[in-house]
Amino acid sequence: MPIITARNLIKYYPCPEISGENFAAVNNINLTISAGEIFGLLGPNGAGKTTTLEMLEGLNQIDGGDVLIDGIDVKKNPYEVKKIIGVQLQSNEYFDRLNLSDLLTLFANLYSTTVDPMHLLAKVNLEDKANAKPDDLSGGQKQRFSIACALVHNPRILFLDEPTTGLDPQAKRNLWNLAKDLNADGMTIVLTTHNMEEAEHLCDRIAIMDQGQIIAEGTPQQLILDHAPEPPKAALHGNIEDVFLVLTGHGLRD
Amino acid sequence: MLTKLQLHLAAIFVKIFYRDRQAIFFSLLFPLIFTGIFLFSDGEPDPLKLGLVNESNNELSIKFVEMVKQEKFFEVKEGSASELKAELIAGDQTAIIIIPRSFNNLLDPGKLRLLLDASQVRQVDAIQDSLEATLLSIERNIRNIEPMFSLQLEDVKARPQRYIDFLLPGILAYMLMNLCIAGSGFNIVEYRRRGILKRLFVTPIQPKDFIISIVLARMLIIMIQLSVILALAIGLLKINIIGGLLPLYGTILFGAFIFLCVGFFLGSLAKTQESIRPIVLLFTFPQLILSGIFLPITSLPDFIQPIAHLLPLSVIASTMRDIANDGASLIAMNLNFLGIILWVLISFFVATKFFVWQKVAS
Repeated sequence: MPIITARNLIKYYPCPEISGENFAAVNNINLTISAGEIFGLLGPNGAGKTTTLEMLEGLNQIDGGDVLIDGIDVKKNPYEVKKIIGVQLQSNEYFDRLNLSDLLTLFANLYSTTVDPMHLLAKVNLEDKANAKPDDLSGGQKQRFSIACALVHNPRILFLDEPTTGLDPQAKRNLWNLAKDLNADGMTIVLTTHNMEEAEHLCDRIAIMDQGQIIAEGTPQQLILDHAPEPPKAALHGNIEDVFLVLTGHGLRD
Repeated sequence: MLTKLQLHLAAIFVKIFYRDRQAIFFSLLFPLIFTGIFLFSDGEPDPLKLGLVNESNNELSIKFVEMVKQEKFFEVKEGSASELKAELIAGDQTAIIIIPRSFNNLLDPGKLRLLLDASQVRQVDAIQDSLEATLLSIERNIRNIEPMFSLQLEDVKARPQRYIDFLLPGILAYMLMNLCIAGSGFNIVEYRRRGILKRLFVTPIQPKDFIISIVLARMLIIMIQLSVILALAIGLLKINIIGGLLPLYGTILFGAFIFLCVGFFLGSLAKTQESIRPIVLLFTFPQLILSGIFLPITSLPDFIQPIAHLLPLSVIASTMRDIANDGASLIAMNLNFLGIILWVLISFFVATKFFVWQKVAS
């Protein structure tokens, strides 16, 4: 049962080199994500992952194509879509002078709902930080808190934009467990990542993007079978990083 | 009218603003200083400092000097020409009158010399006029003639009107404008730059709810700030609010709404912290001059007056002045009230219409 369907999605940005010219940051992509899946968007920097995610979330204007989230047209009803999705952005800044508990109450208000801040903080292992300010948190704690903020209204779909970038292995694994737990409770999760281990470990299905297009899509196992560099004498060998590099090349990106 | 969401949010913003003690402290410091200055000068302009050099030193000149000294417009100091000239150049005297040696003959007393430093005196003409008027009345007194024509000053409003009574409502309105624009315009640019607005944009909140809740919260804080100033003005400067506090607060509420919304609009125009300052200055500075804060709008050149009357600060300041000085009511069916309603609609429209949640790709 698909919960997200994107058809021929296009986004133009002004070309940085030639003024007055546009280029397609997202170029005609199609996505179908099922309810209950953990879906990963992979790609080098500038591939169009975040832009795609923001169009699905109703944050970025859609220049071409359509998106249906749980049957709701994002272009027509962005505010309705926002009620059923939870979003964790790449950078998270909050109002000064409010502690974690205040902020969760604030976010619950924005969804016209109420929340028990302590219960939610316990869910992300931050119950002893209720009176701390976001600035006092470590990187991993910050990411967990921003997920807590995205959960105040118990969304059907959770979007995570590079949730483990910059985290140490412990914090990273802790966050994976959190995502798995949420998914086990029935939440659909869509995430972007540069971390191949994360994609392989966490995601049910993966789409690899490059230059605004999806160049491969499937389960991690299927992608390894199809694209891993060595001829497949053994059933499964190589890893998703090999797949990634074969598909997108070894050249450095900005 | 107001939704639960807006009230909830407003309460949270009050918490945020209230916890910013430093901002509250400094916003109250200025009115304290302002009140202090007027308290010491008693709200009246200082008397003109006048040096008198009596070269003649006879009965007539001494009598003349005594009479000049009795004029309350002047603070007279007698001395030698060289000493007073040095003071004039140093700026300690505004003008010097030199009584010539020949000043002993009623029929031909010779000319009094008036020395001024024109670069230091803004209104040479006005000083010359008031000096001449004084000299004329002294002359009549000495020659014992009744003036043929005389003016008796009578205020139609039949109330003692000091300059401070005129000034204070305008200053209150001006401070209201600055507090509001700092409270919304500067805030919003900072919130956007740090991505806080984008984080809110992820949620189903609409610009109007966000704007209304910040406006409500800021209004409360600004009412408290202005109440402190008003209390000082009424208590220490003996300002009389003839129309009563209720209509005055009503006007302040309307004004706060208008200027907070304008602040949101300016904050959406400005892309950076650097550009918000000149943009805000472009809005506030002309109004400081054109909105009749220090001098009545009617003293402006004729062709500017119709425009000046329409400015948001003008309609707010004029209404506050009418209430404070003349006991007018807020919803007097006059052009100022119409102007207020018009600006409420315009400012809310531009604030919500042009609201920008996130940095726009340039």
